[in-house]
Amino acid sequence: MLKEKMKVEDQVLEKQKQVVDDITSVHRITKENSVFSRTDGGFVSLQYTEEDGEIKVYNRITVHRCFPHSDPTHYISIREPEGDGREIGLIDDMDQLPEDTCAMLNEQMELRYFTPKILKVRHIREEYGYSYWDVVTDRGTCRFTVRMGGGSVYPIGKDRYLINDLDGNRFEIPDLYKLSAREIKQLDLFI
Amino acid sequence: MNESLKKVIPNSVITALEKRGLKPETFLDAVSADMDKNGELRSLYLILTDKRFILVVSDQSGEMIFSGASPASHRPVEGVGELYQYELSRIANPKILDQVVGGLFMADIDGIETWICRFSGAKMKEMRNFCMTFSCRLTGEEPPEKKRNDVEYCPKCGMPYPEKGRSVCPKCMVKRAIFLRILSYFKPFWLRICGLFLCMIVSGILSSLSPYLTGTILYDKILSKNQEFTETLGIPGNFVLALLMLVLSAALILIIKQIVGVIQGRINAYLVPEVVTKIKGNVFEALQKLSIGFFTRRQTGSLMQRVNSDANEVMGFFIDGLPYLLYNIFTFLFAAIIMFSMDWRLALISFFMLPPLFFISYRLMPRIWHAHGRRSRTVRTLYSLLNDGIGGARVVKAFGQEEYENTRFQKVNDRVRNAEMRVVRYGNQFEIMYSLAREIPSLLVASIGALFIIQAPGVFTYGKLITFLNFLGLMQGPMQFFSNIFRWWASSMNAAQRVFEIIDARPDVMEKEAPVYVDLKGDITLNHVSFGYEPNKCVLNDVSFSVKSGEMLGIVGKSGAGKSTLVNLISRLYDADSGEILLDGINIKNLAFSSLRGAVAMVSQETYIFMGTIAENIAYARPDAGHAEIVRAAQAASAHNFICRLPDGYDTIIGSGGRELSGGERQRISIARAILADPRILVLDEATASVDTETERAIQESLEKLIKGRTTISIAHRLSTLRNADHLIVLDKGELVESGTHAELVAKQGEYYKLLQLQSKALAMRGIGD
Repeated sequence: MLKEKMKVEDQVLEKQKQVVDDITSVHRITKENSVFSRTDGGFVSLQYTEEDGEIKVYNRITVHRCFPHSDPTHYISIREPEGDGREIGLIDDMDQLPEDTCAMLNEQMELRYFTPKILKVRHIREEYGYSYWDVVTDRGTCRFTVRMGGGSVYPIGKDRYLINDLDGNRFEIPDLYKLSAREIKQLDLFI
Repeated sequence: MNESLKKVIPNSVITALEKRGLKPETFLDAVSADMDKNGELRSLYLILTDKRFILVVSDQSGEMIFSGASPASHRPVEGVGELYQYELSRIANPKILDQVVGGLFMADIDGIETWICRFSGAKMKEMRNFCMTFSCRLTGEEPPEKKRNDVEYCPKCGMPYPEKGRSVCPKCMVKRAIFLRILSYFKPFWLRICGLFLCMIVSGILSSLSPYLTGTILYDKILSKNQEFTETLGIPGNFVLALLMLVLSAALILIIKQIVGVIQGRINAYLVPEVVTKIKGNVFEALQKLSIGFFTRRQTGSLMQRVNSDANEVMGFFIDGLPYLLYNIFTFLFAAIIMFSMDWRLALISFFMLPPLFFISYRLMPRIWHAHGRRSRTVRTLYSLLNDGIGGARVVKAFGQEEYENTRFQKVNDRVRNAEMRVVRYGNQFEIMYSLAREIPSLLVASIGALFIIQAPGVFTYGKLITFLNFLGLMQGPMQFFSNIFRWWASSMNAAQRVFEIIDARPDVMEKEAPVYVDLKGDITLNHVSFGYEPNKCVLNDVSFSVKSGEMLGIVGKSGAGKSTLVNLISRLYDADSGEILLDGINIKNLAFSSLRGAVAMVSQETYIFMGTIAENIAYARPDAGHAEIVRAAQAASAHNFICRLPDGYDTIIGSGGRELSGGERQRISIARAILADPRILVLDEATASVDTETERAIQESLEKLIKGRTTISIAHRLSTLRNADHLIVLDKGELVESGTHAELVAKQGEYYKLLQLQSKALAMRGIGD
């Protein structure tokens, strides 16, 4: 009786261990063990050969950057879209992948991290705790509103800044000192 | 066709659609998205009819305009670029995929997951609503009532609200100029202020008299033995007596000036602290009114700076500047009038540099303003960092990162220095400018005046020149003052702006006007509640459940599933984005804060201990509680024993600077706090997470007594904590996935069962291992 009970508990423990393993272990996705392809619905699917040789097919995957600002081309996390969004594997270096795969994944990431780059600051008006921006981005002209009082504009690298507007949209200033002195002066309030 | 849909789809597009044989009458719901597949800015219209789903891509690409910006003045006439139509029977599972920015609308079309369109954060709310209607349409459920459209423009001034759904017009909020608002703080002290001004005027007149006495009168009347002068005094020929009178009156003027100065100083000494205290009090009061969201968005250090140093800085101008402004202007004008009446040529020379000087000062103002703003921002960062370094001292020490913290601090410290230097540099520039404007005319007046005396000795007297130079000297004070006043003004108004920003900030969660006051029984109902801390990042999605009065609800779920958020909404620390929360059938938005807060007590996973004694901390919600009650509450929370062991017992000072308590001890104190509050609804958010098993059992027992007759919502990782719950709900990633009694959920063998099995077996296993 006791033995049986212990056996059951062993199994449970084993299962628990697996869950923990799943959470803590890191799978590497390389060009050898993966095939990414476009789906008819406009998403990306993955056929992935696990370490033990088992082939798994994911109809849709999502792509996250581990270091979206400081290292956007390394450590790309490929995840299941549903449920917990479990990580399928990590790509160490995008350059290791075939070109078309790269393009496919970059597309997905562009989608996720939609961040127009500010090329020109036309006008910033600060009034009553909000600032109203009128800028030219690589996606065209854009007007948006930022809440003042810290946290909305923050540095993400040397001379690089990220701006969060009221809607949760993001904008990037890739290099502050490429802007004109007049523009920098307008931004002075935030930096 | 529905009126509200006309606002969504432009007329030109509707006409174009009609031409293609689509009937706008059949449109049930529509929404516009703002990006095409390539991330180019383009309007897309998603339309739901009774039979079909239609996607219209506009043929015009547009400008990106997000919340708060005024709409484009010119909108190109849009037509239909691309048109897609799907029978509803082909579509299933429409859903929104959250992206870091904006989102993606997708659905299964013919069984294939298909990307339909993407959109920016500005459209998230509307897209979510549309998606909800869509999926209800497909499943045949009744769609939740559509919320009224938020007013987007301030009715008073027509400015668009910066944040949609938050009808606060910042412009109308701060109508009075900052300056006048600060002046209003002085209003109660008007009598004293009149006294202050009186002192100023008196000393202004007195000080402009003395140059005349020591110049013209001394040299031209007494030293040059002017007979007429002594006759008017009634002492013909007695120049020694005249001199004595002169000295005496000079001394008298000096004494009166000193007395007036003392009075003025006393009034000031009373006024300044009084007003500063009032401003600080106001800011703190405003802070207390603000919702929890305000604090999580801002750095503690920066808020501390605002309450403290900004209030002082505001006063700078009003204390050093404003009162003396009148005095200085008075002295200045008085001196100028006398100088012009004495000799307009020399007066002109004395003043010729002033107009350009004022012009330059005026032009420099924005820069000084800027420099002050910058300094204050860097100081704010410094405060935050200080807060960080001191608050996190334990971690810093544990990892031996003192050096790192030093460099981090030094960096910001350097920035503060630079900003400070900039402010000082501008100050110096002013100083130099103004002293030049003082010195050059003095030199010119002295030399030209001397020339006058040489050329026409009788007309232009020596005494006149001395008087003139004295007056010029007298003007040094006002000049010095004017060189500073611009800086004072800049720094004071700058600080005032920040102070009023807080005083004027509107809490996200506000008590309704004419709220409902009731004694709540404790029925809780949630209808389709969704919520996110950040715009468009959903933490809770369409959660509905209800708890009857006196029942215990257990909330189970992994970390990050939204359990704590849910109880935050019930105690109304935040307002739900959509859906409603009812207590006894009353929407909590209509409830008075006093009714709500009196009925709900929370023991959360973050325990906060205030500065004060243990007794005060326990009696926090009911400061009038007697010692007997406090001890009973502590006993119930099994805190009594450890408290008694402390040398100072219930009088032990805890909180910042006081005695350090362990995590479990703190938790027990906060449980005692809730027990003493005696609420109708008790929220236990991981209330026993950081106590040992034995203590937990003790607390559990006392809690069992406590929860009798009350509605209890309990969140716990350890499922054993919830064994008495009447009803359980399981949350996963913001969604309610299971609900029922313990037995039902076990029978269902779903998520709950899985969690239960893992936990109980693991615990049993540990028992065997022992």
